[in-house]
Amino acid sequence: MNKLFDFLQSLKFTVLLLVLSMVLVFAGTLAQVDKGIWNVMDQYFRCYIALIDLPVFFPRDLNIPAIQIPFPGGFLLGWLLTFNLIAVHSQTFKVLATGGRRVAGIVVFALGVLVVVGVMFGWGTSSVAATEDDAFWRVFLRLGRGTLAAIALYAACVLLYRQRAGMVLLHGGILFLLIGEFFTALFAVEATMTIKEGETVNYLDRSQQLELSFTETSNPDFDTVTVIPQRLLKDGAEIDADALPFIVKVHHYMENSTRPQPLQSVPDQFKANYPQYEGFGSRLYIGESREVSGATGQRNAQAVDVELLERQTGKSLGRYILSLWMYPNFVNRSWEMPTNFTVDGKAYEAYFRFRREYAKAPSGNPYSIKLVDFVHEKYEGTQTPKDFASRILLVNEGDGVERELRIWMNNPLRYARRTFYQSGYLPDDGGTVLQVVRNDTWMIPYLSCMIVFVGMAAQFIQSFTRYLRRDV
Amino acid sequence: MKRTIINVLVVLFALWFFQTGVKPEMEAADEFQINAFAHLPVKYEGRKKPIDTLARNLLTVLSGKQTVRNDTGERIDAVTWLLESISGTTNAANYKVIRIENLDVLTNLGLEERKRFRYSYLEILPSLGKLDAASRAAFAKDSRDRDTYDRQVVKLANKLYSFQNVLGSFEDPSSVPGEQLMATAQRYMQLENYSIPLIIPPNAGNDRWRPLMSSLLSAHPAMSSVAHEHDISVDPLAIHMGVMLAAYREGNVDVFNQQLMEYGAQLQTANPEVFEKVSFEVFYNRFSAFMKAAQIYLLVFVLSCFGWLFRKEGLLSAARILMIIAFIPQTFALIARVFLSGYPPVTNLYSSAIFIGWAAVALGIIIELGFRKKAGGIGNLVGGIAGFTTLLIAHFLAGDGDTMEQMRAVLDTRFWLATHVITVTLGYMATFVAGTIGVLYIIAGLFTHRLDEETEDGMFRMMYGTTCFALLLSFVGTVLGGLWADDSWGRFWGWDPKENGALLIVIWNAIMLHAKYGMMVKHRGFAVMAVFGNVVTAWSWFGVNQLSVGLHSYGFTDSASFWLVMFCLSQTAFCAIGLIPSNRWKSGATQ
Repeated sequence: MNKLFDFLQSLKFTVLLLVLSMVLVFAGTLAQVDKGIWNVMDQYFRCYIALIDLPVFFPRDLNIPAIQIPFPGGFLLGWLLTFNLIAVHSQTFKVLATGGRRVAGIVVFALGVLVVVGVMFGWGTSSVAATEDDAFWRVFLRLGRGTLAAIALYAACVLLYRQRAGMVLLHGGILFLLIGEFFTALFAVEATMTIKEGETVNYLDRSQQLELSFTETSNPDFDTVTVIPQRLLKDGAEIDADALPFIVKVHHYMENSTRPQPLQSVPDQFKANYPQYEGFGSRLYIGESREVSGATGQRNAQAVDVELLERQTGKSLGRYILSLWMYPNFVNRSWEMPTNFTVDGKAYEAYFRFRREYAKAPSGNPYSIKLVDFVHEKYEGTQTPKDFASRILLVNEGDGVERELRIWMNNPLRYARRTFYQSGYLPDDGGTVLQVVRNDTWMIPYLSCMIVFVGMAAQFIQSFTRYLRRDV
Repeated sequence: MKRTIINVLVVLFALWFFQTGVKPEMEAADEFQINAFAHLPVKYEGRKKPIDTLARNLLTVLSGKQTVRNDTGERIDAVTWLLESISGTTNAANYKVIRIENLDVLTNLGLEERKRFRYSYLEILPSLGKLDAASRAAFAKDSRDRDTYDRQVVKLANKLYSFQNVLGSFEDPSSVPGEQLMATAQRYMQLENYSIPLIIPPNAGNDRWRPLMSSLLSAHPAMSSVAHEHDISVDPLAIHMGVMLAAYREGNVDVFNQQLMEYGAQLQTANPEVFEKVSFEVFYNRFSAFMKAAQIYLLVFVLSCFGWLFRKEGLLSAARILMIIAFIPQTFALIARVFLSGYPPVTNLYSSAIFIGWAAVALGIIIELGFRKKAGGIGNLVGGIAGFTTLLIAHFLAGDGDTMEQMRAVLDTRFWLATHVITVTLGYMATFVAGTIGVLYIIAGLFTHRLDEETEDGMFRMMYGTTCFALLLSFVGTVLGGLWADDSWGRFWGWDPKENGALLIVIWNAIMLHAKYGMMVKHRGFAVMAVFGNVVTAWSWFGVNQLSVGLHSYGFTDSASFWLVMFCLSQTAFCAIGLIPSNRWKSGATQ
């Protein structure tokens, strides 16, 4: 038992964990040939037990059986590395200073932590920050702040650990980076905003989550929207929402679906088992499809095959196929395909869409973004894009914000604890797609980068000078 | 004294070697002034360049070489070949310039396999329809379902399409009958949507670069009435260029030369800025410092091997001087690329190979000059082999076209290219250098008596130092890459293949250092681990591109996969023989 305990706090265990991480990262990279990046992330990295698909290690035409091998996942390895790091350090690196030096070290350390916290929460930066300056200055400024924190912490480490200061600092930096990424994995939110030129939009598409929405449009003054979240859409589930006069029965949930095509153009073998749908499904073929490959910029178009049932009798009110392909923001507004039907004299419009989140500033007041103009430049004589830029009007009446701003490649806007990036454009340059990210720990990598750099550089310079002094 | 003479001779030899081919052959007054033609500016793939570059790149894309042989076996340079092709001489379609290696593709096109695998446009012409159909079928497939044949067909078809587009952009519409004018105009408008050479620079009559065929169309006799009504002026530059090409087609030297003079003179007055950098680029092309440096580095490596094994200080010093001399033009060419392209030195796979080699040689020189006593020639060996192999790799990567291409919008940030990409590439370099020393360690220890205690210890220290350096650079470089991603689209780490590749290098270097600190390996084990570092680095450098996924995929070739696998196998073999018990080692028991 003692032996095991010794092993767990030894460098041997560190090496073992690092080797396991390498295998995991390697497998997770190869897996992206077959799977979308978000699924790979969930299956390999953002979990405690990963299931590695055996075929990823072999050429795909060998037809290796699809065995899943349980393997320590990213979170588990992260935690083990953290504990191992702390264990090894508490064993080998004891605080060497005593008396006044020790007190001074602790004071400087507290000061360093204060700088870190200040930098993390952006003390001294404005609330609406459009970055009109070059990436160069912006990033240097951030790294400069990180360096400030790193130097303060290094001073503390020198006071406390003397010649081992660099080692302690660099591992502290790694730990900080791991913790930051753990929080990002748990709490960061990615969304998009699709805006046509001249249009004002007040909601975000949470692109990692989906929902089935039913909008009742019979009242001229307001619409009533009922949404069913993705997690309830399991094969065979019957969803009975009070706000709806019908039950939604899920026949099949598809991770990816084919682009809609006219039913008559589809070969017969696909049509044979094709359900009798109402709505678009009666004219168009939308079938299940293999997942798209990794970060090719493509993404899966999930779909659900649902049937509406009368609540009392259980009688069918029609079977529908609802796919992301029908949602305008998924197809960059190329088309709109709302599924319309009437139940009990009430008209409904249904979509299977990204989870919708209405834009709200931290003060609780809603805000909206209007696209004033979109510019897309190409290199002369080619189709290679040179620059995209959106000129937008940001309005938040409650907080008295009304500003015209420019968002373009590598120059995002920071507002309401979110960052708005220029990400894509609509056909014929008729509008813009903004990537909207909320990640409160986004400054941690800047900080830990500099902390590790300072620690590592100090350590290596120290060993190098020792090497030169000893032998020359 | 003797050594000084040898060193002077070595210097003279290197200087002579580097100046060869820079100066073009003199052209007599009654010959076509091809050299002057090569200096004319053209805008292609978004970048202004001399016709010389256009010709070389196009020929490299098609045939893999920068010259072509005619039927009598005479060597023709790229510009002459391009001039014949665009002016449409009777002989132009006979040049065997299209390289097709895949046997299935050859069979499908009804062509016989032949030495050097190069075919003329005329030979391929009858089966163009078949090729088109095959490539469309292949293109319609999901990229994961394409087999080698499909990929080769698509690649060949794309090459031919871009070649045809280039030819089309130099078409002379003056002989098109009036009733077909509308159709021709429409065709030209479509062609302008593709990437084609824009030969007519901005001048008084129009404010942007234009292709020849559209500019000439407005000069068509049948267009004169329309042109007058719509105030379309005929571009005099286009007329000169058109006449020039026609004169070349008919073999009329005087008219060609006279029109060329006129064209140059008029352009000089109308828009002198377009000549900026053009002559320099032609010089850069002719200098071809990278190819020459590669040959010198090979020589350096061979000389150093003998010098090191048999402890001949004279050979080592000659090799050292050669390496330093070759390094100067290589550095010059690297800076020239930065000046010409306007980007930091690493923008694509080609330039990363160039840069890794350059930095490895620099490190070799530093090792040699700074620690001559301890290094004892290791710097030469590393510099020589690294310089040679990376430049060779770069040479094969150059087949994709212009190596100074414009960057896509998302990558167009010079700041990040200058920080993240440079740091991460230096990290690759350092890992490779440590790995190379590891290979030398294993070979020398196993097969020779050269690895005595002192050498062994020195080599280990070099590997250890380089690995520390590699870890620092690859960590900072990788994090900077994440910061770029965070700054551009708000995701510090997205588990993208290229990011993962860089992460693997960081982890592997960390494993090496921890294994050393934890006394799990000694010198020999560290050397074996360093060699495996080569595999890890090669995979992240080339392997992830072969997955053809990820936002970073800027390079893809099938033969690259083959060589990557070969390289990884060879390094794994070195690792394996490095594990042979040390009492079997010729140099005796090492640590």
